[in-house]
Amino acid sequence: MKIKNIENCERQKLEHWSRFQLPHHLKKWFIAAFTLALLGLLGLKFIEIEPEWLKFILRQFLLFTLLAISLSKEAVEDEMISSLRIKAFYLAFIFGVFYGMVQPIANSAVGFLIGAKLGQYSLSYFQVLFFMLVIQIAFFEVLKRNR
Amino acid sequence: MKNSIKVERAILNLTQEQLAKKIGVSRQTINSIEANRYVPSTVLALKMSEIFNKPVNDFFKLTEED
Repeated sequence: MKIKNIENCERQKLEHWSRFQLPHHLKKWFIAAFTLALLGLLGLKFIEIEPEWLKFILRQFLLFTLLAISLSKEAVEDEMISSLRIKAFYLAFIFGVFYGMVQPIANSAVGFLIGAKLGQYSLSYFQVLFFMLVIQIAFFEVLKRNR
Repeated sequence: MKNSIKVERAILNLTQEQLAKKIGVSRQTINSIEANRYVPSTVLALKMSEIFNKPVNDFFKLTEED
């Protein structure tokens, strides 16, 4: 009986979390915040002394805004939109893992050709997460446009 | 899966937009269902059944590929 209760509790919690979404009206604010954070990060490239703490904060903020955009509801959020979003998350996960595995090898190969040491190239968590989130949003928009 | 939603809609003289509003989805979803690009859930199929006043089997048919 207790095991059944635990299973039910787990199922309900997972169902609850998997349905988590942000309101549609916030999406445009997240897009604006993402643009500002991206411009901020690009702006840092032109400053001679690049403050590491600011770069770190902007990167975290950028990832947060991307996640918020991908979790924001559409104007009409129906079952087809949900299914397209799931497809986009699925594709982003596959592409993200593939990118995380292949990119360091490609970088090392190119580095080897130009005389750099092997194993010098790796990916940061930011690169992989940024890639996955951008791919998710892009695929979702493409799937939505072609539905 | 093939369907005759377009025909059923025409019988009731409903536009895609009107049907979409009645069952709480977007017009694009109705368009995708009619074009067989999307297979709706049982809940949505039953909502359509209520609107068309017909059993689901009458307007959704399995094909050999299914």
